[in-house]
Amino acid sequence: MSRTAMEKKGIIFWVLLIVILFLVLFPIYWIAITSLKYPVENISPVPTFYPHRVTLQNYLNVLEGGFFRNLYNSLFVSTFSTALSLTLSFLATYALVRFKFPLRLNYIFLIWVLIVKILPPIVLAIPLYTLFTSVHLINKLVGLVIVYQVYTLPYCLWMLFGFLKAVPIEYEQAAEIDGASKLKVLTSIVLPLTRGGLVATAIFSVIVAWDEFLFALLFIRNPDLLTLPLRIVNFITEYETLWGELMAIGLMATLPVLLFSGYVYRKMTEGFSMSLK
Amino acid sequence: MKKNIFYYLIFAPALIVIVFLTVYPIVNVFHMSFFKYNYLSDTKIFIGLKNFKRIMGDDLFHTAFLNTIVFSVVATFIEVSLGIFLALLFYGQFFGKRVFMVMIIFPMMLSTMVISALWKTLYHFDIGLLNYVLRSIGLKPIGWLINPKIALFSIILVDIWQWTPFAFILIHAGLNTIQREIFEAASIDGANYFKTLIHITFPILSGQILLVILLRTIDTFRIFSKVYALTQGGPGNATETLTYYVYREGFTYFNLGRAATASIYILIVIAFISYFYLRNIIGEESV
Repeated sequence: MSRTAMEKKGIIFWVLLIVILFLVLFPIYWIAITSLKYPVENISPVPTFYPHRVTLQNYLNVLEGGFFRNLYNSLFVSTFSTALSLTLSFLATYALVRFKFPLRLNYIFLIWVLIVKILPPIVLAIPLYTLFTSVHLINKLVGLVIVYQVYTLPYCLWMLFGFLKAVPIEYEQAAEIDGASKLKVLTSIVLPLTRGGLVATAIFSVIVAWDEFLFALLFIRNPDLLTLPLRIVNFITEYETLWGELMAIGLMATLPVLLFSGYVYRKMTEGFSMSLK
Repeated sequence: MKKNIFYYLIFAPALIVIVFLTVYPIVNVFHMSFFKYNYLSDTKIFIGLKNFKRIMGDDLFHTAFLNTIVFSVVATFIEVSLGIFLALLFYGQFFGKRVFMVMIIFPMMLSTMVISALWKTLYHFDIGLLNYVLRSIGLKPIGWLINPKIALFSIILVDIWQWTPFAFILIHAGLNTIQREIFEAASIDGANYFKTLIHITFPILSGQILLVILLRTIDTFRIFSKVYALTQGGPGNATETLTYYVYREGFTYFNLGRAATASIYILIVIAFISYFYLRNIIGEESV
């Protein structure tokens, strides 16, 4: 099979590839080495390209400075907001796929959800802030779990809608003829069939919640409840040049998500592009 | 009938949450925009369209609007262009391709705050890496985040670093759906590389490229966390964006009425974008 012009990879290709990889990977390398340098080395006017004296002190300082507290908060919020979104959207999309609601509700609902995905969340922030204040959900992790539904729920709804549409109805019909209740069909037939889709959706939803900043900034005042992005931004604005600790906390905050890279890459190339944002 | 109740019951929770978290706030924003409403003093006075007029005449709002458009257009244009370039470069098979591609998506996997922190150090005027490199090759250091003419573009650069991989992967995926035979036929017919690009590749890819443009426009339009972390809207008002404007009015000055009004202007722009986005999406998969 002959190779077309587009597929030929000459020396220029490899040079470009190296340049690109350098631009992508060097900043990440920089995070790592900055986190391993002593503060003095980090603020030297002549930057060093590898730590001349390696230290783990930055990591220790961060761990002792309440990192686990922030980690717990972030884990709590992203786990429960994802669990809530998955449950709600699994039930709702099943209804949307199998039942035609009156007044074109199916269509209107899905379109509305798409529009919500486009909205800058700040537009919702002011009314939600007053609403959450009046029901005492400000400054609580549970409040964040609920408000994060603004991001995670539209996301899960659209992704699961795609998966559930692909489930053949025959299994459910057979089970119903055998006398299984609707709920039984849903939990023991549909659920197992969409397990793969649920996992994929959950991963993307966790990543979205993990990275969320705006509502966390607006809704959380108590220092004990800060999530990781808030902790990092406080670091940036409070300490001008405590870069070692900043990079240490950044690396630790991002590592769990970075491990999903291969998975995300696979999913993106499988054509879930539509649901990605 | 009993069967149908089941569907209503399982649909209701998601519907209720969506209504409470999105429909109610938007109705509320419209309502608030007619009031002079200060949250701290808890005064709420009906003032009709005064907020709208005031914001229309507010220089800071104009700046925010212009900055947001510049940010969104420039960032999207460069990200998508680079994405196309990379996708073409990576077309076909070569040694280590999969590993390289997974590495290239690292930036979009990093948390935005971590990226902001990283670039804040790189951009530092006195001891940042970028100015060190500039100085050592005999150039003048740049006030990346402190020069009002440059700060917005510095934030754009961060966005490009973070999100070009996204454009790249999606366009690359689109490119791979084109059958190889088409390119082979073109090359047998004597079409050179650029002719093939212009007459075959781009027309086939246009749908996918448009989708990526829309996704990036939507996302860059809501830029907030990078501005918050890197410049807080400064220096001066050089990096003030629409989202930051609403944030400041609402959560620093507690002028909820005015913040709501600014939100409505944002909603109008979003309505335009939504129109194109929905047409694109629904055109492809009928709901």
